Amino acid sequence: MWRATARAPDGGPQVAWRIGVDIGGTFTDFALLEEASGRVFVHKRLTTPADPAEAVLAGIPMVLAEAGAKATDVGAIVHGTTLVTNAVIERKGALTGMLVTAGFKDVLEIGRELRYDMFDLTQRFPEPLVPRACRAEIGERMRYDGTVATPLDAAEVRAAVLHLVQHERIEALAVCLLHAYANPAHEQAIAALVAAEFPALPVSTSADVWPEMREFERWTTTTVNAYTRPLFDRYLARLEAGLGEIGCAGRLYIMTSSGGVVLPEVARRYPVRLLESGPAAGALMAATLGKRLGVGDLLAFDMGGTTAKGCIIRGHQPLRRYEIEVARLHEFKRGSGLSLKLPVIDMIEIGAGGGGIARSDALGRLRVGPESAGADPGPACYGRGGTRPTLTDANLILGLYDGTRFLGGRMHLDAAAAAAAIHEHVARPLGLTPARAAAGIHEVINEDVARAFRVHAAERGVDYRACTMVAFGGSGPAHAVRIARKLGIPRVVLARGAGVFSALGLLASPLAFAVARSRQLALAGIEEGWWLAHMAPLIAEAAAPLRAAGVAEAEITLRCHLDIRYVGQGHAVEVPVPAHGTGQGGAALRARFEVRYAELYGEPLAGTPATITGLKVEAIGPDPLGGRPFQIVAGDAPTRRPARRLADVDGRGARDCAVYDRRALAPGAVVAGPALIEEAESTCVIGACDRARIDADGNLVVELAAAAEAAA
Amino acid sequence: MSASPAFDAVSLGILWDRLIAITDEGVSTLVRTAFSTVVREGYDLSVVLLDADGALLAQGTQSIPSFTGSAPATLRHMLNRFPPAELRPGDVVVTNDPWMGSGHLYDINVMRPMFRQGRIVAYVLSITHLPDIGGSGFGSEAAELWQEGLRLPVAKLVVAGRRDEFLMELIATNVRVPEQVIGDVLANVACTAVAERQLLDLMAEYGLADLGPLSHQIQAASEAAMRARILAMRPGTWRAELMIEGIDQPIRLACTATLAEGAVALDFAGSQDCVPFGVNVPFCFTNGYAIYAVKCLAGAPIPNNAGATRSIAVTAPAGCILHALPPAATAARHSVGWFIVPLVFRALAAAALDAVPAESGMINMVNFRGTHRDGRAITTLHFASGGCGALRGLDGLPTISTPSSNAGIPVEVWEAETSLTVTEKRLLTDSGGAGAFRGGLGQRLSMRNDTGAALIVDVMGYRTDYPAAGAAGGRAGQARQMLINDRLLPHKGRFVLAPGDRLTRIEAGGGGYGAPGARDPQRLAADVAAGYVSAEAAERDYRAPPAKVRGA
Repeated sequence: MWRATARAPDGGPQVAWRIGVDIGGTFTDFALLEEASGRVFVHKRLTTPADPAEAVLAGIPMVLAEAGAKATDVGAIVHGTTLVTNAVIERKGALTGMLVTAGFKDVLEIGRELRYDMFDLTQRFPEPLVPRACRAEIGERMRYDGTVATPLDAAEVRAAVLHLVQHERIEALAVCLLHAYANPAHEQAIAALVAAEFPALPVSTSADVWPEMREFERWTTTTVNAYTRPLFDRYLARLEAGLGEIGCAGRLYIMTSSGGVVLPEVARRYPVRLLESGPAAGALMAATLGKRLGVGDLLAFDMGGTTAKGCIIRGHQPLRRYEIEVARLHEFKRGSGLSLKLPVIDMIEIGAGGGGIARSDALGRLRVGPESAGADPGPACYGRGGTRPTLTDANLILGLYDGTRFLGGRMHLDAAAAAAAIHEHVARPLGLTPARAAAGIHEVINEDVARAFRVHAAERGVDYRACTMVAFGGSGPAHAVRIARKLGIPRVVLARGAGVFSALGLLASPLAFAVARSRQLALAGIEEGWWLAHMAPLIAEAAAPLRAAGVAEAEITLRCHLDIRYVGQGHAVEVPVPAHGTGQGGAALRARFEVRYAELYGEPLAGTPATITGLKVEAIGPDPLGGRPFQIVAGDAPTRRPARRLADVDGRGARDCAVYDRRALAPGAVVAGPALIEEAESTCVIGACDRARIDADGNLVVELAAAAEAAA
Repeated sequence: MSASPAFDAVSLGILWDRLIAITDEGVSTLVRTAFSTVVREGYDLSVVLLDADGALLAQGTQSIPSFTGSAPATLRHMLNRFPPAELRPGDVVVTNDPWMGSGHLYDINVMRPMFRQGRIVAYVLSITHLPDIGGSGFGSEAAELWQEGLRLPVAKLVVAGRRDEFLMELIATNVRVPEQVIGDVLANVACTAVAERQLLDLMAEYGLADLGPLSHQIQAASEAAMRARILAMRPGTWRAELMIEGIDQPIRLACTATLAEGAVALDFAGSQDCVPFGVNVPFCFTNGYAIYAVKCLAGAPIPNNAGATRSIAVTAPAGCILHALPPAATAARHSVGWFIVPLVFRALAAAALDAVPAESGMINMVNFRGTHRDGRAITTLHFASGGCGALRGLDGLPTISTPSSNAGIPVEVWEAETSLTVTEKRLLTDSGGAGAFRGGLGQRLSMRNDTGAALIVDVMGYRTDYPAAGAAGGRAGQARQMLINDRLLPHKGRFVLAPGDRLTRIEAGGGGYGAPGARDPQRLAADVAAGYVSAEAAERDYRAPPAKVRGA
């Protein structure tokens, strides 16, 4: 259990404090947990993009000082970062070479040959991460069934690597061979040769990174891994040294995209698994909150300055998937980025945040985002030179935000500038009143988010109407209730510390590691003994990193899935199965498969043979919080706040609206909507007829009025 | 637009996007549940919503262009056979008739009427290319329709929720790979069911009794936007001709384009008569691609619907090769019909100067029939693309599917499905037409027959004798070639690939844009460094001094 292993390296007693540090695009968030009491101190400071470790190393002493804790008492630092994502988007990774099966060095460029827009003659695709000159072909060949057609020639490999190192000066190597998912022997032999003869060159092989059929996506994933390895390794070395300098000898854990943490040596080997690790921590925190509330089915809604993200949580587990697209050229247009295969928490990303720019389009419709004003120049109301209207401008005009209290009063918002921008770019061109234009911007975002969630849920066969929404991020609480109403979701929970929710999530994340294998096994021929031959070794592999971290066998939870499809289909259905071989013969597996198939697509196909195509196992360590809630330590004293005039947001007319300082609301307090409940980093908007109450843990729980009542 | 529209800018945008999202969800269901590689890897499919009047309302983002023009006509034919009053909830209507559907027997058109409170509020149409339809097999060989396979008149495949098992059996017994064909038909049925569920949810949520006012407003907005775009082009009348590869002799296509008062008229008179081979193009296909070409040039992201196409009128004399009548053979109608796009581009070159790209190498499909090493029957298409034509300011994309939007088949999937071995799939150096903006590279793709038995291979090529032309002084791309071992094949025909034989496809490059001498020397140097252009070609085609080129 990793809490038990969170000891000083000398094996001393269990330590007192743990820190979660999440580096985001704009801010780096800290959450410091006192193990014994559950007290949490939070801190937020600007990210330092040139050297992200700088903000981390500057922030840790600050939050320690606030808590009166010593660096030597910190047993564990749990870290999430967008470093890997940014390296890919900004192309700041290593010069990467590639060894590839002879005949196929251009697969990265040829791609899927499919346009993502039928009509746009100017569409572009991302350049491959490995330049063409750095791709060397190797005369080997596996067949689709994993048998060897052409053996590997070590001398050829040696010469190719030598050339790439000496002439192309590569700093990292991706090994991408056809059908390596079926038999990785050649890739493994190359990796061993390079390790022995070119020890300074980090190697990533496609079957090790994620062994799935379809070469373009698997190889692209491998190149991202190779491309980011040196950079991530340097960053970790700098961070580890810096932590030592400030006296933090605690163990470092790194958050992955799939919602678990790993030790630095695992993160160094698979940096591609760290994409979107911060948002994954937020989703996991929502699940943790759900456990505390006794609610298993949630919709986690995270909305910041640039994007919104959604994640469905079922039975206390965030949904997972095995593909992700990064660095989209046409912002958020599906197909315009690098398509990767790896285990991730299944999140939908929408180009809708506080900085989203509003405009009228060629068809005379109001549109908001995905273009964002970002932090510079920012929304018009920031008064930093921005002239185009954003969602934040609209929310200010509507009266949802207090211009004098933004970010706890550290920033003043200019309502006149916001109004001018909305008039010029939205109200005038579309023939709308300023109030309708502002309400429209607010509403378009709500609908964009709701629509994206709807499609996302439909694709996964989930009825979101039975879910509870957990909302967080700077802009999330202002939109959550209205979006929930659109989706028919009856309850919204707005946690304390919503502004640093991902950092809290890091503290709640267990050790975890996922592995997969591609296997073709006809269901009809399967006997129960198949488990020992195929699943048992995979389970051992998934559990190995946890054992290495000191987790006891009995404390490892296993999640097993089989990919099953009808023979002849190209896409499998992921079927959850128990983590043992008993009762898992062909007939039982077929029954499980058909239940899942019917949920997704209607009628199963009776009489059509089915086959397993893949095996997946995730090993998960114990819950590091043991179900305890956080006790977030508030800053200065709460204040009384006057009522505010709210424009017509919901078609019910303008009216005055009560405003509360959240810190003044004690457990048990009840607030009737319409109301605004303000925190330093966000404002919760409670709709008319809705009721909010503060629960025993300090969460704000909003019960939505029935649709008929709210529409009255 | 009417004086007081029913939906303001906010509601219109919201509902419109939802309708498109519903069709996208249908596409996703098709890909996940289909059995043929044609659909699940190649994306040869389309999903559209039509309103109660039969006007096109929304189309899946990932769809084949031809179906835009054909779907409303398909629905009309279906409703002629089964008037709305005779349709019941749970009915599903199908046809693959080339003249009612989308131009050849291979496309199955699956329609579901959607009922709300007892009334039809919309129709959803799902269309996919079946891996087989019996007859002589996919190719250009047939002299008349009867040889091409099973022709299903408009029929109810599902009657009030009950599948017509006789019809299923009829289809299954007439095709070579019944599991795949039936599996794909059922994927289409599942797709329409998913779309229906979602549309009814939408209408319930917004309290829409019918879609009429919304549809009218969507169409009016699209029509106005399209007219504005066309008004921005130069008015006038232009005529263009195109010669393309025929079977025994070249085929002539002609188009007269007239731009006036915000409308475009495209007339294909002057195109030659039908030929006794399976390459004749029914008008539905002509109409779809002609509209598609204009929409590409108009440049605005206007979603596909009846309004967006209202200002585009397409005509062709009955009996010409672009308006083939029964019983002309049409299986490989794409090999002629896809040229409507470059033909219309050529006709509108003077009207939409900067928007018109050089010609493209285009996607190419080869049909394979035989037996997998493991004993399964193989009847499947393989897609691979040439390079795209360059545009003013942009090099052409390499290996990208145009004018149809299909995907290449992954090598690992193809080998597992067929037991052939792909030995090479590489970009083709120097295949992009020289120009200030270079044409996109084609590819060289080879595969060996390792199935252990002979395969029948149908090639339906083009751009072999008439490579993709350049524009504004740019040069043509490299021509397409197909070979068995070292033997060059005619561009169309049926061949035997013996065990161990190798089929090689040289997929055509795109044309260049602008005079090659005007190419930025740095970009040329980068091309040479990457191997997209050889040093010899740089000197020969761009007249670049060698020293400068080596400076890369």
